[in-house]
Amino acid sequence: MITFASFAAPPDDLYGHGHRVAHPIDPADDRDMDIDFDDEEFVSGSKLTVPGETLTSSHAFMRGHGTYVDNEQVIASVAGTVERVNKLISVRAARSRYNPEVGDLVVGRIAEVQPKRWKVDAGGRQDAVLMLSSVNLPGGVQRRKLESDELQMRTFFEEGDLLVAEVQAFFADGAMSLHTRSLKYGKLRNGQLVIVPPALIRRLKSHFTSLPCGVDLILGLNGYIWVSKHVKDSDREGEDGFDAEAVYSNRNDDIDCATRTAIARVTNIIRALAAHWQPLTDAVLLEAYEWAVEQDCDVKDLLLDDVAAALVASLGGQH
Amino acid sequence: MPRPPSPSIPEREFLYASLKQSLRLDGRLPLEMREPTLTFGPDLGWVDCAMGRTRVLASVDGKMVKPTPERPLEGVITIHSEISPMASSDYETGRASDEEVVLTRMLDKVLRRSDTVDKESLCVQAGQRVWHLRLTIHCLADAGNLLDCACLAGIVALKHYRRPEVEVEGEDVTIHHPSERAPIPLAMHHTPYCFTFAYFPDTTTQAVLDPTSLEQRLSAGLLSIALNAQRELCVVQKAGGVPLAPDEVMRIINVAVGKAKELDRIVEKRLQEDWSTRNVEVR
Amino acid sequence: MGSRVEILNDDGYRSDGRRQFELRDITMDLSPRGTADGSAMITHGLTQVMVSVFGPREAKMRAQTLHDRAVLNVEVNIAPFSTGERRKRNRGDKRILELAASIKSTFEPVVQTALYPRSQIDIYVHVLQQDGGLLQASINAATLALVGAGIPLLDLVCAVTGGVHSTSPMLDLTTLEENDIPHLTVAVMPKTGNVTLVTMETRLHVDRFGDIFKLTCDAAQVIHQEMKRAAYARTRRLVDAMDVDSKSILLTGDNVDKDTAMNELE
Repeated sequence: MITFASFAAPPDDLYGHGHRVAHPIDPADDRDMDIDFDDEEFVSGSKLTVPGETLTSSHAFMRGHGTYVDNEQVIASVAGTVERVNKLISVRAARSRYNPEVGDLVVGRIAEVQPKRWKVDAGGRQDAVLMLSSVNLPGGVQRRKLESDELQMRTFFEEGDLLVAEVQAFFADGAMSLHTRSLKYGKLRNGQLVIVPPALIRRLKSHFTSLPCGVDLILGLNGYIWVSKHVKDSDREGEDGFDAEAVYSNRNDDIDCATRTAIARVTNIIRALAAHWQPLTDAVLLEAYEWAVEQDCDVKDLLLDDVAAALVASLGGQH
Repeated sequence: MPRPPSPSIPEREFLYASLKQSLRLDGRLPLEMREPTLTFGPDLGWVDCAMGRTRVLASVDGKMVKPTPERPLEGVITIHSEISPMASSDYETGRASDEEVVLTRMLDKVLRRSDTVDKESLCVQAGQRVWHLRLTIHCLADAGNLLDCACLAGIVALKHYRRPEVEVEGEDVTIHHPSERAPIPLAMHHTPYCFTFAYFPDTTTQAVLDPTSLEQRLSAGLLSIALNAQRELCVVQKAGGVPLAPDEVMRIINVAVGKAKELDRIVEKRLQEDWSTRNVEVR
Repeated sequence: MGSRVEILNDDGYRSDGRRQFELRDITMDLSPRGTADGSAMITHGLTQVMVSVFGPREAKMRAQTLHDRAVLNVEVNIAPFSTGERRKRNRGDKRILELAASIKSTFEPVVQTALYPRSQIDIYVHVLQQDGGLLQASINAATLALVGAGIPLLDLVCAVTGGVHSTSPMLDLTTLEENDIPHLTVAVMPKTGNVTLVTMETRLHVDRFGDIFKLTCDAAQVIHQEMKRAAYARTRRLVDAMDVDSKSILLTGDNVDKDTAMNELE
């Protein structure tokens, strides 16, 4: 009885831009549509869901993230893929803000300096907290914190500084607590920040990678990626020679032109891949970098739609 | 913008528990409203409406203006309402709060947009002179359900108001002072009344009519229905809050139909009582 | 001009050639826009609304944060060119504030705000074109944008308008029809069939109201099918794009070597 005005079905374009819907006037077609859904899911293997869809009975299964129980049924509350671990049913959102887990490596930006703590914007649902007690201070790891340290917190990190840290724990309200108690962590310099949707960062064995083109990458699980000049292993100070100047320095080293270009190329590759929703790993980035050099395309051209599409196609084609 | 402190946990638990047993803190039945008290002032169109401790003052005054060029044959009605901190400490001056927006919009919908007053009858000379009625609503005290009280005050004020008689001879317009000729009542199409029902987070708890401020604060959604005694709905407003089954909405509307008839009788009676005392003064 | 146009002619067609119960064509676009976490553009016939959702994120206004759940913040912006006569509405316009308040309270019980204490979810509604059914389009677009942002919802919220011309009910009204006949907007949670929002602001007999009310609830189910379809299509695209590459990771094992180079620093 309730019908749509009918019109021609549009071409199904790749990125969901302007997805038009032709609705059948005949209710019989309506049923066909549902069957289509099932087929599609069946073929591709991963089961998708949207909010409000019943997944299973709550007697046989337990509800995980992205679901809720109502009327003895487990119902999805986000759109994404259904995952099952034994009796636990959860839905992972296809796209969402960063959901932190303990041990995650994140890149963040100091948003606020508060008594004994820094507030860090790390793309989460709340600002993360970096306690003064969770950072290494100049003068050795064993050094005790003094009142004077509290007064000069801004000399370590001030508003706008970027840093890399690890998720240490959670507060009762879900805010994450970070720490930088390792030489790998701390203030960032000599590079550039790119922000991509966090879903694109896969969990890797190590999130610190260096590309042979003289570029270091820090792939924060929160989708913040730090692309910087390569630091030679020998240049890094050992545990003993913990150098305050170097760790909390705000000064960039001298970066030659070639490295600058390489950094810019890598950031643009990341942007292009993210726009096409390609997961980012060091292997993919390396391959993409080689392709970009091979094609001899200008760094800024990587952001053009057709070049980006060719880049993505070249990656997809090889596998 | 500081938020008013929410009711304490014991208060909340007690209210929910008693509502579950269909008991209200002021002894009313769930679907019983507070009897409105209407007090008329010395001037026509001046009404003080009280429902329990909620009190609203409404007054109407009229003047001659030039009509808008788009509608040369229609009079103008404007409604002014403002919730001041005087009504309740929850409100503050300055930026309009959500409550104030809802109140203003509802008054506008109930009293103006539902064509309560025949605007064409307010025309004196086409395109030249029309009556401009100004309804001012003063919220004196808010002890819950300010909206219903304000709507009632507004509609009664319009019914109570009488405009001076006007004589048109060619280009000349004579306005007769009420002491010379008896003023005439406004031509009204209908009289809508507003009823607000409050719903609670626990869906098994029955809805209550005419919530007090505590009930309103703890409610999880309000459903406001404005309708007249002729079973015509003017406004149905349920902006969010707990989801309701469609049948429940229809049930509440039918309850409101009955209440509108009751309230209409009360209002008519009070207006008549008042008018009978006034007739003496006019001549 | 309103009364001159025939709302429903003798053959049962409306002014724009639709039947009584025919909805206008719908387009839904969930592709990302700018830095928004989720965004959606929806059109119902000539009405076009774009919604961007940000969050959950750190609340801007400290005083407004709630310790046990997230705060929803809705802002509506109506483009001056969205109507036939160009008119600038200022932000304080009561009608816009009411629209924003309605959208906010519609989603408050639907979004699982309790999962994000002390955060804020911003919903920005931009009305680009209006031809009736403004609230309907805004709610539908906001639902899709929230889905796109991966914010947990109890159910999709589907809104639809309906009206009554003398005794014949009709669905999905244009501005022309809205100006002329009594109309209402209903937002339904299709799973339970419960109603989260009903607004009506014109005089209508109770019995007529019952008819159109039931009808709009049914129509919302049809809209739901479309919204579901759009949400599935979007999710499918994202998941497929990710899948292509998960295979490539398995194939290349050389990334491990570079990792260890960095690990030695520890």
